[in-house]
Amino acid sequence: MGYVYPHAPLEIIMAHGLTPTLVRARPGIAGAFEASLQTFACSYTRNLFSQRANDQMPASSALLFPGNTCDSLLNVGDIWRVRFPDDIIFRLTYPAANQGEAAVHYLADELRSLSQSIEAAFGRPFSEEEFRDAAGLTRQFRSAAQFLYAARVVSPQVLRYSKLAALIHTFLLSPDQKSANEITNASTQVQRALARSRLLDSAKKIQEQLIKRHLTPAALPHGAKSPRIAIAGGMIDPGAIVALFNAAGIPEDALVMDLFSFGFKTVFTPPCEVGRDPFDSVARSILASPLEPTQEGLGVRLAFLKDVVTNLAVDGLIVCEQSFCDPDEFEAPSLEAEASKSGVAVMRLPIDPELSDRERLGVRLQSFLETISPRSGR
Amino acid sequence: MTTLGQEERHTEEKVYRQLRANSLLQEIMLRYMMEGQAASEQGKLAWVTSGFPVEIPVTMGVNVSYPEQYGAIIGSQKVGPEICGFAEELGYSQELCSYARSSIGSVRYPEKSPLDGLPKPQALLACNNICGTVLRWYDAVSQMTGAPVFLFDTPPTEGDQPSHHREYVRQSVLRLIDFLSRTFHTSFSEERLRKVGELSGEAIDLWTRSLKACRNRPSPLNCADRFLAMAPIVALRGTEPAIEFYQALLEEVQERVSQGLGAIRDERIRLLWDDIPPWFTIFRFFNGLAARGVVFPADTYTHAWSGSLAGADLLDSVVSVYSNVYLNKGLEAKVDKMCELIKEYSLDGFIMFSVRSCKRYSLGQLVSKELVMERTGVPGVVIEGDMVDSRLFNDAQIQTRLDALLEMFL
Amino acid sequence: MARRTTIGIGLDIGSTTTKGILVDSSGTVLAASLVTTGASAPIAARHVMDELSQTSGKELTGLPIITTGYGRTSVEFAHETVTEITCHSMGVHSLNPDIRLLIDVGGQDSKVIRIGPNGRPTDFELNDKCSAGTGRFLEVMARVLEVSIDDLGPLALRSTSPSTISSTCTVFAESEVVGRIGTGAAPADIAAGAHLAMAGKVATLAKRVGLVTPVGVTGGVALNPAFRHYLSKQLNSSLWMPDKPQLTGALGAAILAVKR
Repeated sequence: MGYVYPHAPLEIIMAHGLTPTLVRARPGIAGAFEASLQTFACSYTRNLFSQRANDQMPASSALLFPGNTCDSLLNVGDIWRVRFPDDIIFRLTYPAANQGEAAVHYLADELRSLSQSIEAAFGRPFSEEEFRDAAGLTRQFRSAAQFLYAARVVSPQVLRYSKLAALIHTFLLSPDQKSANEITNASTQVQRALARSRLLDSAKKIQEQLIKRHLTPAALPHGAKSPRIAIAGGMIDPGAIVALFNAAGIPEDALVMDLFSFGFKTVFTPPCEVGRDPFDSVARSILASPLEPTQEGLGVRLAFLKDVVTNLAVDGLIVCEQSFCDPDEFEAPSLEAEASKSGVAVMRLPIDPELSDRERLGVRLQSFLETISPRSGR
Repeated sequence: MTTLGQEERHTEEKVYRQLRANSLLQEIMLRYMMEGQAASEQGKLAWVTSGFPVEIPVTMGVNVSYPEQYGAIIGSQKVGPEICGFAEELGYSQELCSYARSSIGSVRYPEKSPLDGLPKPQALLACNNICGTVLRWYDAVSQMTGAPVFLFDTPPTEGDQPSHHREYVRQSVLRLIDFLSRTFHTSFSEERLRKVGELSGEAIDLWTRSLKACRNRPSPLNCADRFLAMAPIVALRGTEPAIEFYQALLEEVQERVSQGLGAIRDERIRLLWDDIPPWFTIFRFFNGLAARGVVFPADTYTHAWSGSLAGADLLDSVVSVYSNVYLNKGLEAKVDKMCELIKEYSLDGFIMFSVRSCKRYSLGQLVSKELVMERTGVPGVVIEGDMVDSRLFNDAQIQTRLDALLEMFL
Repeated sequence: MARRTTIGIGLDIGSTTTKGILVDSSGTVLAASLVTTGASAPIAARHVMDELSQTSGKELTGLPIITTGYGRTSVEFAHETVTEITCHSMGVHSLNPDIRLLIDVGGQDSKVIRIGPNGRPTDFELNDKCSAGTGRFLEVMARVLEVSIDDLGPLALRSTSPSTISSTCTVFAESEVVGRIGTGAAPADIAAGAHLAMAGKVATLAKRVGLVTPVGVTGGVALNPAFRHYLSKQLNSSLWMPDKPQLTGALGAAILAVKR
């Protein structure tokens, strides 16, 4: 089952014997949306729609769209069903308000309803056993990925950002034991490398703190390279950022942290617990994922951003704005202001899945890197 | 000769008829603005979105102001690009909702904004039944004013609202009451809500009857009339002045119907209008069409305020009314509504205004245009523009499409 | 204007060219004219009127004149202005009443028109915002490939494997093509790719109105054989083109004038 929005209930889908596979926007897709979507629809959704219209969408038995996350996705889901009436489309409508237990109950019931629809459509009932296996798998993946994030904060050169992004992408594309083991192996190797440089404890501490969303000044090794860049944004493809960085000749080591939906937010989603109602568990897990801008809580997100740039010795922040993305574009000025207040250089990066303006973006990035100076006191 | 007839002779040259009720409208809205200012000074003002369950704050003695309506004022005074520019200088993209941009811009520089901006709020109440952007917009304003934001979350519905959905929204109501109690040191009473609900319902009923009168030929109201006259139903629900106005309006409308007087002098083509109108050119645009015999007896925007609170369980009614507004129901429901209006109001065609700023309302029009044409057999056209940002309005391109549509009726 | 007339004049004032047709009530074209619009639409219109008068040998004063096109409102002596949508529809209908879907691609815009049984349009779609899918796109491509616009079509037809051009925007497509030239792609393949992309956009516009065969094409770009080739493939339909595809707007206007 293909899904579009980051906080998909992977464990529930897998409990029905289906493989949740992330469907992403990709460069090189010829525009085929004009008959159905105006140009002011979010560029991400236009790319997805074009893929489908061009028959370039990866094969899947069904697609899961979200509701109540943004107006482009909401409308595109509806339009999709009219234009491609033979596609099997499911919708999961998320809560957006800080309503504690009420939100959990609501989402749990939505998930239950989704589960029933999946069973009705494919004749595959929910399996407690497969749910447990799935929960174990995602826990394993997240745990390893979290460590790698923390490791790169301490020592960015211990693993290339592109490699981390690829490992995450592989899992999201195909969450199975193989891809989970791949990332676990990478994590093990990195642990060894850090142990040798006596940085392992530092990394583990950062991992704990990131999980708890409460950071203290990180103990970085002497001679840590600069500049250290963090990058924020919504449904941006980490791979696209890598491509831009490479094209601009910027070393991947400069990127110490991303706060992307298909990166940090997915990785640092708390695991779902087993031994209790699975829908309640998954709902709790999803609603506790960090930094979700489609939900109430700007203040919390800004406080966390401040934490990150202050305590993780970040010199520069790149704020990505997906073209015509309301959540990205509304939040960007606040993110910029918050980071600037903390003494960090900020750059805005308007981006679309086709990377239409690749050349100029590369130049912008390069100039930004050239103008950043390391934070004082390091 | 009736008074109306005498007025007729004076306004012979104009293609449209002025509503007498407009002067009452101005009075009421002016009073409303002043009350808002006073409330703000007393620390009792909240800004609300147009689809917010306003009966709750009104019940609890909190005054409300409407940034969206203020956006319409900014648009009408033709300062949209300027005020939006203030927000753009802060880094807000031109691709964002122009109501939001103009609101943020006027919060930044109230002294450079019409009426010196909206009075300062003590709370920001957003309900996402009209779009998902409102939360982010109000977050931005919260940053600038320090007023706390509250989100009344009404997840979009698809067909019948399931019980877990209703339960969740009901919790929103309780949470809202709690928030308002704490923030404004006030309390809630179901008794008072019933009273406010009745007032709100009465105004809605009167308004709806004026809307329905447009089924007549000629239509007693054009859409421009309704776009102005909707102000109290948006901003003054639950209060007496709203009833006063809609009573006066209905009387005048009924007078016109009984005398066979239309909103425009020479009604030849009846069309449906979809989406928010271009406030900055509302008279020129619609009167220009009126001069060609085109009237709009119905539109989806003014028909969107129709739910009243009723029944034994008022909170349940709040949940139901506010979860099921036009913009919260999905594409099929929009198409159904448009087809219904076309049939009920005997319309010859439709114009869909593709408001660039408003994804919630406008995305899907390319598809709904086809579906509506298919199901009703009447022709329609999609034109592009914006409701506040006049930079996004290309006269020539719009005229070509309108002309081509009208040529189909000859 | 009480005199009954059997002759009408239609003027199609485009941004590049101004066309005129003199027609009688049986639909016979008595004179036709095409001039460059240049900087002044009224002057071009006058010029066309003079040519029509000369060619037909008739006095044109007092005859009904309908103008259409981009500059339709700029000519004072017109009796009425009608959009190109209606005029092209009427014009094509008079030449070939079987055509139910008309695709008109000009220098600045492209249109798709559903022609009703009486020749008037019942639905249409217009692309006048975005140059991709209009003649402008091909002009840009011709410039980049350093060939004349007239040679671009034949060049494209020589290709058996068109390049893919994925940018929806002319500006970005231009960069993309420059990139392709840089990596050694054959000019014929690039030209073919440009036509393929162009036809794709136009086909999409057509599908919005709904494909109904037979399909007619008019407008300056219709003269381009590669465009017709790729459009025909995209629509999976043969295309009918009038002998003088640039004149159908003026013809439709003239027919409407005669009916006045």
